[in-house]
Amino acid sequence: MTTTERPDLSWLDTVTMSELERDPYTTYERLRAEAPLAYVPVLGSYVASTTEVCREVATSPDFEAVITPAGGRTFGHPAIIGVNGDIHADLRSMVEPALQPAEVDRWIDDLVRPIARRYLEQFEDDGHAELVAQYCEPVSVRSLGDLLGLQDVGSDKLREWFAKLNRSFTNAAMDENGEFANPEGFAEGDAAKAEIRAIVDPLIDRWIVEPDDSAISHWLHDGMPPGQTRDREYIYPTIYVYLLGAMQEPGHGMASTLVGLFSRPEQLEEVVDDPALIPRAISEGLRWTSPIWSATARISTKPVTIAGVDLPAGTPVMLSYGSANHDTGQYEAPSTYDLHRPPLPHLAFGAGNHACAGIYFANHVMRIALEELFEAIPNLERDTREGVDFWGWGFRGPTSLHVTWEV
Amino acid sequence: MSFAVTAGGHRVECAPSQTLLDACLRAGVWMPNSCNQGTCGTCKLQVLSGEVDHGASPRDTLTDDERATGLALACQARPLADTEVRGHGTAGRTTHRLRDLTTTVRAVEDIARDTRRVLLGLAEPLAFEPGQYVELSVPGSGARRQYSLANTADEDKVLELHVRRVPGGLATDCWLFGGLDVGDRVEATGPLGDFHLPPAEDDDGGPMVLIGGGTGLAPLVGIARTALARHPTREVRLYHGVRGAADLYDLDRFAELAAAHPGLTFVPVLSDEPDPAYRGGFPTDAFLEDVASGRGWSGWLCGPPAMVEAGVKAFKRRRMSPRHIHREKFTPADAS
Ligand code: HEM
Ligand code: FES
Repeated sequence: MTTTERPDLSWLDTVTMSELERDPYTTYERLRAEAPLAYVPVLGSYVASTTEVCREVATSPDFEAVITPAGGRTFGHPAIIGVNGDIHADLRSMVEPALQPAEVDRWIDDLVRPIARRYLEQFEDDGHAELVAQYCEPVSVRSLGDLLGLQDVGSDKLREWFAKLNRSFTNAAMDENGEFANPEGFAEGDAAKAEIRAIVDPLIDRWIVEPDDSAISHWLHDGMPPGQTRDREYIYPTIYVYLLGAMQEPGHGMASTLVGLFSRPEQLEEVVDDPALIPRAISEGLRWTSPIWSATARISTKPVTIAGVDLPAGTPVMLSYGSANHDTGQYEAPSTYDLHRPPLPHLAFGAGNHACAGIYFANHVMRIALEELFEAIPNLERDTREGVDFWGWGFRGPTSLHVTWEV
Repeated sequence: MSFAVTAGGHRVECAPSQTLLDACLRAGVWMPNSCNQGTCGTCKLQVLSGEVDHGASPRDTLTDDERATGLALACQARPLADTEVRGHGTAGRTTHRLRDLTTTVRAVEDIARDTRRVLLGLAEPLAFEPGQYVELSVPGSGARRQYSLANTADEDKVLELHVRRVPGGLATDCWLFGGLDVGDRVEATGPLGDFHLPPAEDDDGGPMVLIGGGTGLAPLVGIARTALARHPTREVRLYHGVRGAADLYDLDRFAELAAAHPGLTFVPVLSDEPDPAYRGGFPTDAFLEDVASGRGWSGWLCGPPAMVEAGVKAFKRRRMSPRHIHREKFTPADAS
């Protein structure tokens, strides 16, 4: 394609970060229609917005992983999402054993069900609740926190950390010189990391000499020669990946699924009556509002042509999985939640060799949490006096979800 | 000729004219099933290999997309080749064998307005779970009708059915309320369905509410008596919803049962013809008035679809766990 045939994308010049965070769909719908691979000035990056282009870039041998600039500024190096080759293989081999289906099956029920019950007991007789803060996020962070070995870190602290890391990671706005437009936006992420170090460093000190069955203890020891452990500076960036995405997203996924079901009362009723439908409801919830909406990227390793656009070697492309999952080429009326739509594969967990490592674990956390919720409160209703606001471009979900029920 | 159908590691023979469900149940291999009419979806399974004819599977229950991904309704699908299937969790365990039954009418008794009790004697005892049902062949028509058993498991030689007359109904007006006589032979198959108590070892003796509309009372009679035999002091609330006092039956039987079991409360509820001796309205509303919390209870519903729907809603409103809400999913021929 020559430049003269390119669509006029000057409308993109006025798109702002806060617009994208409030509602990325309007902008990305236009991108999918006009330029499924486009340079978006506010992000200072190319963006893939359709199912086909996201999948192609994520799985292409001519691309490898790269962390977004704001992500790299937040996590540091080597974060599992931004490295390749031997380091990536080592980090995957470090995180995967605890997340294997056969391994997860062994303990997931005993881990998550009591946690879900404990949070439910605190409000199930109140007749009203705000489920994001009182249930979805706490069950999500407590389940993973206990798995990692962070039993002594309170759920509210874990929630505070992922929220701060999130805002830092997605502080993506770039100015015309390719500099961060809001450098002060990283301050709260830096503060969170300082606090994380202050709390986790002593735990690491202990795990080095007294290994236990927690995931981080295994990260330190597994596959290392006797008497040696992985260097903490080497694993911290991946600890941050967990303390942001892995902590936050099962909560987002549950809450979005619930909001979707509330938009289809007859489908909510079906799912409450038949808990076997919960996994399908969650899968549609993740398609409908993808928790990791646009947070990871790939970079070309040689000159390539993608969607008719010539990219030189070394061009980063952001993967907008949340947009791909609204691709009208794949899904009819994609902005509608529909439990019964044909269960096509979606991209909410990404694709290629950097696809999510926690799919099986995350799906079960969300399933068990919703099973226990509907079991305890089968007469759940959305409190229609309160609205539901979604927020986020990098990571997306409802900011609150008020519900009521008869007690 | 027949095809081999493999389910949960069991291999059974299935004639080309036979449904997968029928073949499995006859061989004693369990498959979830409820309505046997293709309407409830309980018997949906995945065809792993081979091929089936979907027969009369309704598109509401089995969509084209589901067919394309290899799903089938076991109660409607017939094999076109050797076929391997995978059902839900419990499919493939052993169960009471589905059998053809030759029965003889022992008694026909008018028990209430347009309502009869029919007792069918069996040549051989039938193994079933209380609450399950049988299908009767309507003589000379090829039609089949489903009737719940009011029996407990040890009452296995004489089947007790409650039948309500449907004006102009093929099975009722013309047969069960027409020429049917003591000594007649009646062809049947059974037992069918999943509307029954959990196994005794999984039954913790928790409180139960059972709501029957009209002759939907029948399976509840078997279920309630079995539940009380297991745990004689458990709380059981049995609601019988009918139009008027003339539709009530077996009042003595329940009075006697309640005298022996102080935990049992039998509550007749009249919807259309008020009578100072009885509660008025709908039985599901009576439950809402009587029970403040359904937590820890199990609920049992059999009757017209609107009553069953209202019952599910009422139970959930009282926060009964949906796992413990049971409903007969076939639509009784006499439901109205
Ligand atoms: C509903 C919840 C979750 C969603 C929607 C989700 C989604 C994603 C997505 C879209 C990616 C990027 C994939 C790509 O770039 O192609 C990712 C990466 C990752 N996720 Fe998840 N995730 C969830 C929960 C979790 C959990 C609970 C864990 C760990 C326990 C986890 C571990 C990881 C890891 C380690 C990576 C990096 C993989 C790599 O770069 O090799 N995720 N996830
Ligand atoms: S659809 Fe087959 S048993 Fe109901």
